[in-house]
Amino acid sequence: MSKGWQITLILSLLGLFALFYQGLWGDPRHIPTVLIETEAPNFEGPDVETGQTISLEQFKGKVVLLNFWASWCYECKVEHESILQLHQLFKDNPDFVMLGVNYQDELPDAQKYLQEYGSTFSHVRDLKGQLAIDYGVYGVPETFVIDQQGKIRHKWVGPITGEVYTNITQKVIAPLLNAQPTTTTTS
Amino acid sequence: MIIEIGHFSVIVALVLSVFGMASAALALKTRNPDWARSGRMAVTLIFVLLGVGMLSLVYAFIIRDFSVLYVANNSNSKLPFFYTVAAVWGGHEGSLLLWVFILSVFSTLAVWLHWRTQPAIMPYLIGVESAIIFGFLCLIVFLSSPFERLLPVPLDGKDLNPLLQDPAMVMHPPMLYLGYVGFSIPFSFAMAALFSGRLGEEWIKVTQRWSMFAWMCLTTGILLGGYWAYYELGWGGYWGWDPVENASFMPWLVGTAYLHSVLVQEKRKMFKVWNLFLIIVTFSLSLIGTFLVRSGVLTSVHSFATDPERGLYILIFVGTVIGIAFGALILRSNKLKSQVEMDSLVSRESIFLFNNLFFLVAAATVFLGTLYPLILETLQNAKVTVGPPYYNAVFMPIALGLLFLMGVGPYIPWRKASVASLKKSFSTPLLAGAVIVVLLFVTGIHNLYALAGGYVVTFAGMAIVLDFGKISQLYAQRNGSNIFQGSLAAFTANQRRYASMLTHIGVLVLVVGIIASTVYQTEKVVSMRVGDEFAIGDYRMKLTKIHEVAGGNWNAQEGVFQVFKGEDLVTELRPQKRIYSATQTPTTESAIYATNMGHVFLTMPEVSEDGVAVARGVLNPLVLWVWGGGVIMGLGVILNILRPRKKEE
Repeated sequence: MSKGWQITLILSLLGLFALFYQGLWGDPRHIPTVLIETEAPNFEGPDVETGQTISLEQFKGKVVLLNFWASWCYECKVEHESILQLHQLFKDNPDFVMLGVNYQDELPDAQKYLQEYGSTFSHVRDLKGQLAIDYGVYGVPETFVIDQQGKIRHKWVGPITGEVYTNITQKVIAPLLNAQPTTTTTS
Repeated sequence: MIIEIGHFSVIVALVLSVFGMASAALALKTRNPDWARSGRMAVTLIFVLLGVGMLSLVYAFIIRDFSVLYVANNSNSKLPFFYTVAAVWGGHEGSLLLWVFILSVFSTLAVWLHWRTQPAIMPYLIGVESAIIFGFLCLIVFLSSPFERLLPVPLDGKDLNPLLQDPAMVMHPPMLYLGYVGFSIPFSFAMAALFSGRLGEEWIKVTQRWSMFAWMCLTTGILLGGYWAYYELGWGGYWGWDPVENASFMPWLVGTAYLHSVLVQEKRKMFKVWNLFLIIVTFSLSLIGTFLVRSGVLTSVHSFATDPERGLYILIFVGTVIGIAFGALILRSNKLKSQVEMDSLVSRESIFLFNNLFFLVAAATVFLGTLYPLILETLQNAKVTVGPPYYNAVFMPIALGLLFLMGVGPYIPWRKASVASLKKSFSTPLLAGAVIVVLLFVTGIHNLYALAGGYVVTFAGMAIVLDFGKISQLYAQRNGSNIFQGSLAAFTANQRRYASMLTHIGVLVLVVGIIASTVYQTEKVVSMRVGDEFAIGDYRMKLTKIHEVAGGNWNAQEGVFQVFKGEDLVTELRPQKRIYSATQTPTTESAIYATNMGHVFLTMPEVSEDGVAVARGVLNPLVLWVWGGGVIMGLGVILNILRPRKKEE
């Protein structure tokens, strides 16, 4: 083996392991959406509990948090308490609206779920799964934050708990409500 | 209590692995064979202790002891018995334990099998194997213990991931591990050769059967994984170039190169550094594969927990092993000049060289595709997915090139081939390939891959048939027997050669299966109600009923589809949409009708409240050839391993 080969070999190995090391600290499951910074698709659908029609348009000018969930989804139960807590935190702010989107679910199951686990905000039914397709939802739970101009500013795949909760409340929603421009978060 | 015994055994095994390394070092330093004997005892005891550890975990699963965290996380009171046992390797901690247990089985076997014939190598073997065992046991004992208790004890477990509740999935991980870990034996012998300076052909001859066995297990593991993905994930494909699939494919590619390249060293004493390099890369890729799967560095359908701490540990360990191995190779490489130069570019050794280059380029292609998202994220913080289009575009030509070489390599002489001998051996296969291409074209097959594939497969197949036919005839003439007896005699007299040819035939069959089922797959997705029907290819599917069915730990909506060919009812297919009770996870169970070596594949991914079902039909022509080819390949390797030993082996 010539000197050149030896050095190449050593350098490639070092590079490879540096790359792996760097990779350890990222989370490959944070998938950004092409929808970030684009207009949130409008939707219309019946309320899970009351049956009244809810549309996104009626909340224009407010910060909207959309949380996709389903009664069969285990991780949704995991995040449910923090979701309620999040609503508690911002519900008195007139510029904030929180909407659940019930995804691929049976109506009685969804209603039973809300009765059992509690609900303090409205949930719209995604009847044909079209809403999930429009928002590019990979699976539930998945959460979107839409700003006053109707643009999607943040997306999170997975439960809103722990650090994720702190991040979304302090670094995403609060600045938007204080009308400070946030940096785009692509988590 | 039993689980504590298991836990304790594993801790003692960890201590013994340190003893194994120390006794190996002392055996080398003092030249006292007693130390080597102690090392052998340590390796053997590690095997026994890890066996106790495995059994205690199996026992905890069988008695459904949910006070054990790992059992509670990976099983459930309703989980069928068969899967309860398999759940032992259904999660991260248990599969690591299985990995190191298999390693200890192989180490023990290797130490006892080669004890008499390879006394000088033994301390190295014991040292290297103990070190690898030590690395994995530290991970298990300190960071990923499957023996941890859970308080308060839950009433029931969370259940095994429903996707893993499948016969193919039960066997897939152990087979893969047998493959990965199997390569540790040739790796250890290679390390022994490097450390001891005994750099001849000895280590290659000794480890040949080990390498073949490891290769066979890895092949089986990969094909089983593909089979599982095929009918369990419900998308009708068996290979998706997922990072974790690639992680097992890369050592396979380099391992295959190694199996071929050692033949050159054996016969011609060439490629010495190269072979050491290949086995180090093969085993390194096995370790890196484990790292990629276990650290969550890459996005994959195999979503394992992301845990930087464990990931960092595995990285340091893998880096140390690979660093030492390559370091030793670099330090020794000046002693490793080939005694022989290549005589001609038209010779068997040069074909082997090209074979190796093609395999390495193939592995590099896969490696780059797998790591590209990580590279881009590190450098530019951008997210990308490298999908099948990249692999198909880059990998296919390389694979076709390899198949062509497969038709040339075994029939071209060593050293230098004359033009006359080339003409004699290859004119018929070349012509046969051309004839097939014309025939395929005339019958309406115009896809470039199908035509190119048809050509090389025919060429390579024809070369095998002609060679075997010729030799069989010679034997028949010499023994005055008929051609069948002649071929049997030819096979037994040249078992190594023709067992390898059988493996090659298996590859050809597999390739035909892959091409046909990829290029000529037909798919149709429709929404339908009971009474509706849809047509796909020559078949019509009529949905006659949707009803509820229940299994032990799941409930499902089952669609009953009558399948017609023309006006004849050929079969009834019953795809299901299952919900597993404990986790409430939905899965899509496919229904398959096998016909003419192909599949009519049906799934029902959705059923809405108002009774509209989404049905997905796929026709996969010749798809059974993929696994049929795998079986033939395996048979070839088994015949090769079991061939009678010659004196020098």
